[in-house]
Amino acid sequence: DSTVGSSSDCKPCPCPGGSTCAVVPKTKEVVCTNCPTGTTGKRCELCDDGFFGDPLGENGQVRVCRACKCSDNIDPNAVGNCDRETGECLKCIYNTDGFFCDRCKEGFYGNPLATNANDKCKACSCSPYGTVDRQTSCLQVTGQCQCFPHVTNRDCSACQPGFFNLRSGTGCEQCNCNSIGSTN
Amino acid sequence: TRPDVSPVAPGTHLLFAQSGKIEHIPLDGYSMNKGEAKALLHLPDRVAIAVAYDCVEKMVYWTDITGPSISKASLKGGDIISLVTTDLESPEGLAIDYLARLMFWTDSMKDRIEVAKLDGSQRRVLFDTDLVNPRPIVADPSYGRLYWADWNRDGPKIEMSNMDGTDRTVLVKDDLGLPNGLTYDPESQQLCWADAGTRKVQCMDPNGRNRRTIVEGIQYPFAIVSHGRNLYYTDWRREAVVAVDRTTDRETDEFLPQKRSRVYGIATTPTQCPQAYNYCSN
Repeated sequence: DSTVGSSSDCKPCPCPGGSTCAVVPKTKEVVCTNCPTGTTGKRCELCDDGFFGDPLGENGQVRVCRACKCSDNIDPNAVGNCDRETGECLKCIYNTDGFFCDRCKEGFYGNPLATNANDKCKACSCSPYGTVDRQTSCLQVTGQCQCFPHVTNRDCSACQPGFFNLRSGTGCEQCNCNSIGSTN
Repeated sequence: TRPDVSPVAPGTHLLFAQSGKIEHIPLDGYSMNKGEAKALLHLPDRVAIAVAYDCVEKMVYWTDITGPSISKASLKGGDIISLVTTDLESPEGLAIDYLARLMFWTDSMKDRIEVAKLDGSQRRVLFDTDLVNPRPIVADPSYGRLYWADWNRDGPKIEMSNMDGTDRTVLVKDDLGLPNGLTYDPESQQLCWADAGTRKVQCMDPNGRNRRTIVEGIQYPFAIVSHGRNLYYTDWRREAVVAVDRTTDRETDEFLPQKRSRVYGIATTPTQCPQAYNYCSN
């Protein structure tokens, strides 16, 4: 406040690199108005949208702002792709999930880091008849669903040889064919 | 809440969102008075995306994806008023019906279009089907119509409906890429959009006919607004506001904000509301 008339009326802006600031009239709050490229916030303590870091080292070491790191599983046309401080990915695509979009989301399996989008994460599609508790999730890499006894295939969609009645919903039953009357 | 820093002088202005603030540029006729460009609002820890203007109460409205929230503040100064703060994920488009006193918004995570009164009350979901990445939305209050675009990479489209959600129709689906920006000019009745995929600004009649290209080979448009014969769009790569003359199909000017970072939503502040009549407003 330059109207008080003392030598300490004007104080330097508390902004990096001596950049400019403004005082909000009502609250007297000081806001930096020209933060260095890539940074924003009252004191330039935040990264711009699409970037993450801790430019002032408010929570530990200084981490310069870097573009969101989401395993190529975000869309550059989206906004708010990652948390501006932690870098946690918020808009994973191609059915990926996780902090860095580095795993398949629940109900999908495959290689989230594959270069071709079609090779990334595929739906588990577990058979509702052959899968324990009608689970819809499977093992991340192989995609193996959790099958009832004597049920086979990745998606638990068939009985093992010598077994039948997948639709029982409790596993396949032994055929019990008479060895005399059967061809095998 | 935080009052604004510099109240806006009378006259028409452009308002646009940039990292942590909403800036304004006074318009002198069609030319941008760049020397007078200033921050209207400092939102230091926020990421404002869409900007809209209510010509009746002279209020600026915006969506914020960090809250996430929808808020407003007066152009004359005063506190920021939060209007919607719950059940939002990524609100990226905002339209105001100044006659019926309603706002409409898109949410690209909830994949919805919603409506509420301008104070945030009486909120309803208008659409929650066939939406993947809905972004820009504009209203034509005098005809009671809504227009929006979805930049879904597997099927981008521009759609319209009545404001009550009836008669939803796809207007454009061919030769679209990433239609990030959309604007409607009630005077010339032209619907124009900015596409970061085809890198074009195009316009057509609101029924989908007479589509034509205004400019092509542009960089990375995000939002667009029409004002008389001009269109103004924000560009992520140029980090600029670009003026295009619709009658000569030429870029006429650009504004480079002092701060170098991506620019988002854009709106104009006409000094008077367009003359119009709406049955629902009575």
